[in-house]
Amino acid sequence: MITSAALCPAPPLLARELTGADPVVPALRRACLDAVAALIADGPDLVAVVGVAGETRAWPPDGQLDLSPYAPSLRTAQPMPASAPAWVPLPLGLGARLLDQAGYQGRRELQSISDDEPAAACAALGARLAGASARVAVLVMADGTARRGLKAPGYLDERSVPFDAEVERAVRAGDLTALLTLDPVLAQELMATGRAGWQVLAGAMNGVRPAAEIRYCDDPFGVAYLVASLQAGG
Amino acid sequence: MSDARGPRAQGLLRIGRAAFPPSQPLIMGIVNRTPDSFFRPGLTWDEPAAMARVDQVIAEGADIVDVGGIPAAPGAEVDVAEEIRRTAGFIGAVRSRYPDVVISVDTWRHGTGRAACEAGADLLNDSWGGDDERLAEVAAEFGVGLVCAHAGRQRPRTRPFRVAYADVMADVLDHTLRLAERAVSVGVPPDRIIIDAAHDFGKNTWHSLEVTRRLAEMTETGWPVLVSLSNKDFVGETLDLPPEQRLPGTLAATSVCAWLGARIFRAHQVTESRQVVDMVSAIRGDRPPARAVRGLA
Repeated sequence: MITSAALCPAPPLLARELTGADPVVPALRRACLDAVAALIADGPDLVAVVGVAGETRAWPPDGQLDLSPYAPSLRTAQPMPASAPAWVPLPLGLGARLLDQAGYQGRRELQSISDDEPAAACAALGARLAGASARVAVLVMADGTARRGLKAPGYLDERSVPFDAEVERAVRAGDLTALLTLDPVLAQELMATGRAGWQVLAGAMNGVRPAAEIRYCDDPFGVAYLVASLQAGG
Repeated sequence: MSDARGPRAQGLLRIGRAAFPPSQPLIMGIVNRTPDSFFRPGLTWDEPAAMARVDQVIAEGADIVDVGGIPAAPGAEVDVAEEIRRTAGFIGAVRSRYPDVVISVDTWRHGTGRAACEAGADLLNDSWGGDDERLAEVAAEFGVGLVCAHAGRQRPRTRPFRVAYADVMADVLDHTLRLAERAVSVGVPPDRIIIDAAHDFGKNTWHSLEVTRRLAEMTETGWPVLVSLSNKDFVGETLDLPPEQRLPGTLAATSVCAWLGARIFRAHQVTESRQVVDMVSAIRGDRPPARAVRGLA
């Protein structure tokens, strides 16, 4: 049974080490941490972290964030865990780190979803995660489009702004079922890497209309970042 | 060229009718036939201004003139016909004015490469990592040089988006050496093939810094190495400076690459780049001082 959910973006720059001397996005990091703190505040007995990656699979729950593919020179700077670490895909690693930073020590699952997974499969995965324990909290690491301006990673595509606006509306209104109708082809064209993740979230909520709080909604680098907390009623 | 990828000594590099020994670093002066490149946009969009720029870079000591018709960043579509219109006729004019200068064309497209070669270009400078495989065949057909670059398998005119590498230099080596070997196999003369890590292309700033730090791994392959560092974002992000203030950072990176054995330096500021590579060349012992009398009189 799902009790709450949090939505955070998963850009590499969420890792403080990657932005160099300048924190660059302190407000975004703060919003993510606040969202995760709220997520675990009412004592879930399981937190499922969901992130979009190349394949759909479960990862070791103690999986760690590996920044070296993004910044080779940080390889030696990272503290090595006592036991051999399991590196996990970036969104899951960032989510796991947020849980660590928020002080969560309970049971967790790390689950990736393939970026080409159809909506029904995403929703089914969400429903399975929501049913995995009595009090499940879900942390979805998912990003909006990356084509929101001339300087955006994917350059400007005029369809990006309305696409992201619909995602924000659906989340703000707790109308998560609407996320299941997002067009995967359009999402891919707009480099909205989070599409599958949002659809997992919709499946986890399974028709419940949660109360939503938007904590961050901006695009400082032409990529839409949305941070939200969702409480599943009751 | 054997398939072995072990260390090899640098040899003679031929471009056009010239042959350059490893001890002679070359400056490639950038001449943009574009209205919208990132550095000094539109400066040489008009042909008279572009020819004045050619005169200037040659006077300042450029060994190669690199003519490009399309910016690297995404933007308004420039089709092949328009790219040829911007570059080929101009290359012909440069060739007439400077019969012996080495002329390079900055393109990834074989159609543009062919038109440029017909107009007198000596080198096809493909920064986009062999996106158009037929470009190598054009180089072979005309017997001109070819730059084999690493763009992280990004399509031309795209920005890196969360690119990640298990080992960026291993990927650079694997890709550029494979392109070089393929170029040889289609008939490009081996002594006219150059490799390029392509800083910023398919790379974040950390990756470009790593590639700079480990450039010796490229020069040890024996292939001549070109570096294109000039005023790029990895310099700007490292020093937090806009394009017009990136010259010192560019020159610092230039000097490290020169020390590690790069042989061609693509540059906007030719005078300063020439001085840096000549100075490093003297420090390496490849070049005598221009005039030494201090303590010697």
